[in-house]
Amino acid sequence: MSESQEPFSYPPIDPINFDLIIVGTALSESVIAAAASAVGKTILHLDPNSFYGSHFASLSLHDLSSYLTSPRSPPAAASASTDSDDVVIDLVHQHICSDAEIASYDESAFLDENSRKFSIDLGGPRALFSADKTIDLLLKSGAAQYLEFKGIDASFVFEANEGLANVPDSRGAIFRDKKLSLREKNQLMRFFKLVQQHLDVTQEEKISEEDMDIPFVSFLEKMKLPPKIKSILLYAIAMVDYDQDNSEICKDLLKTKDGIDCLAQYSSSVGRFPNAPGALLYPIYGEGELPQAFCRRAAVKGCIYVLRMPVVSLLMDKVTGLYKGIRLVSGQDLYSHQLILDPSFTIPSPLTLSASDFPSERLQMLSQRDIKGLVARGICITKSSIKPDVSNCSVVYPPRSLYPEQVTSIKALQIGSNLAVCPAGTFILYFSTLCNDADEGKKLLKAAMNALLTLPVSGNSESILSVQSDSEDTKPIVIWSAFYIQKLITSKFEFISSTPTPDGNLNYNDLLDAAQKLFGQMYPNEEFFPKATPPDDPTDEDDASGLTLDS
Amino acid sequence: MSLRRRTLLKVIVLGDSGVGKTSLMNQYVHKKFSQQYKATIGADFVTKELQIDDRLVTLQIWDTAGQERFQSLGVAFYRGADCCVLVYDVNVMKSFDTLENWHEEFLKQANPPDPRAFPFILLGNKIDIDGGNSRVVSEKKAKDWCASKGNIPYFETSAKEDYNVDAAFLCIAKAALANEHEQDIYFQGIPEAAVPENEQRGGCAC
Repeated sequence: MSESQEPFSYPPIDPINFDLIIVGTALSESVIAAAASAVGKTILHLDPNSFYGSHFASLSLHDLSSYLTSPRSPPAAASASTDSDDVVIDLVHQHICSDAEIASYDESAFLDENSRKFSIDLGGPRALFSADKTIDLLLKSGAAQYLEFKGIDASFVFEANEGLANVPDSRGAIFRDKKLSLREKNQLMRFFKLVQQHLDVTQEEKISEEDMDIPFVSFLEKMKLPPKIKSILLYAIAMVDYDQDNSEICKDLLKTKDGIDCLAQYSSSVGRFPNAPGALLYPIYGEGELPQAFCRRAAVKGCIYVLRMPVVSLLMDKVTGLYKGIRLVSGQDLYSHQLILDPSFTIPSPLTLSASDFPSERLQMLSQRDIKGLVARGICITKSSIKPDVSNCSVVYPPRSLYPEQVTSIKALQIGSNLAVCPAGTFILYFSTLCNDADEGKKLLKAAMNALLTLPVSGNSESILSVQSDSEDTKPIVIWSAFYIQKLITSKFEFISSTPTPDGNLNYNDLLDAAQKLFGQMYPNEEFFPKATPPDDPTDEDDASGLTLDS
Repeated sequence: MSLRRRTLLKVIVLGDSGVGKTSLMNQYVHKKFSQQYKATIGADFVTKELQIDDRLVTLQIWDTAGQERFQSLGVAFYRGADCCVLVYDVNVMKSFDTLENWHEEFLKQANPPDPRAFPFILLGNKIDIDGGNSRVVSEKKAKDWCASKGNIPYFETSAKEDYNVDAAFLCIAKAALANEHEQDIYFQGIPEAAVPENEQRGGCAC
């Protein structure tokens, strides 16, 4: 309720002691808040932003632009009494996103006027497989009751010189496919049958142990599958990132057993819900709804929520060097047994402390945050779909499909207005790829966009007109675009735990595994979302479970 | 549309901590009142079926789950609301003064297509306290505020004495239902929740 213009007085928080304090409301933090609340921990969950979701938020167009372009200035620490037994260490906030490049080609005031009708994902492209563990977790935790989903209409793979082709993800789809030759259809059918037999416990015929341990790409070659089919299986179904044929560069060489698991998940996702046409689901109003659903779950179990509350310092015990609590921007000190920090926090290195005998080695982990890699993300807004009559779809650009030096695959997702994330008649497209540096990442994304969209030359409206009249068929024109580079930081359980940043995957499985692991390390004797609801909770409706899916 | 499913209406209840939001909901749905105040823990949403004219509607009334205490209700809470119930305590001036903020916050977050036509209802709760001698907000003052917001219906209630609670929620249900009709026309592009086709416990029902 506070407008940023008016002077805001930070409310005092009561109580001041908690089992756990969590800073940041990204998906992982929210899942842990819900899980720890469910087993009776007292939790304070803070976020410096005025919205939920941190790096997983869905924002209006204006909010997204300002989030990406204006690095948040570290809040000035309120000068509080320092006569306590605590050593105060100031936290440094480092934005996990950088190199933001935003362009608007909207000549009218359409985007300005409709800014709030957009709900754009910061961590996109992202979707859920109908049969993946995210769905199970949503149901088990009770978060599903606050959410509604819709099936993604189609999945495409981009093929050099040929454009978009359907991902043949079921027998029916292979049969109907118009781009595959009869020979390719037979090969794919045979392969799917083999995988099915392997997964069927009643069947004797299995893929050999030896084959299960070799790279999936070698196994596919052994099966004599042509490059095109291989590419679809590896990049559009198993969704691996790096070129599997290039062992020098490949950082994620997939083994057959993992490839088979991916295929199994994909095929059990197709048709799991009668009113979802493909394997993927997307939450209505955007991915930012997911962390909010988990936060509400936590709140129902007693977790205290305070948005717009920056944390400025850590409080450490002078003698033991152990974590004791945090200092808020308001100057209030709060204490907890454990602390989870958003991955954008670090502490200054080298540590300059007044107390020279302070055992600071425990803080090394916080000052040395290792960045595992980068993911380039891109967002486009268009007024037409990349595929006529298809509103929501996923696209994968396998390595080398755009240009020979392309070593990573690019994932894309188009979401239309029937998911309530943009005004009628508009579409949001998300792109992402792993990369080594910002230039490489942006080059990849721009190539992917150019293959399907028309990016106008900035500030030159005539070029838009000339492109429109061009013979090159009707590629949607981009009216707004953004590029940014996001650091990949994994979670850590140490003296103070930290959660991971959004990864480069399309789904949430790895992130949720990390959250569950972190929970297990923090509370080794507690169950991750126990099934039974406490009997003293009359308003909790345990029969409300189920996933709401719009047709 | 009524052929597809029973009408589900989302109602959200807003107001300062301690004005009796959870108590009003519990009185309405469970016919229970607890004398002892605790800040809301464990309250999620309650549902109640009722017949309005010839239609069977299910009211899904959402509690703030305590997230209102530090004004930290996320936008998801407001999504798709068919009616917003504002509650204040007639004995606490501040809870009346902040109604303006809650009203404004709702319109900002829920972003309804026509803010002036969106149904709000105001409840002045706890009129039983001290036989009404401790009240600081007069009925006239509350009604004037309602008039200034486009004639919001106003009810004086006591969750403790079960006074006017049913009448207030019936009015809420009717307002929500009327709003849903209008929304359907406006939001033709946005789909409605479909009926679960195969309900199976533990699995997904879609």
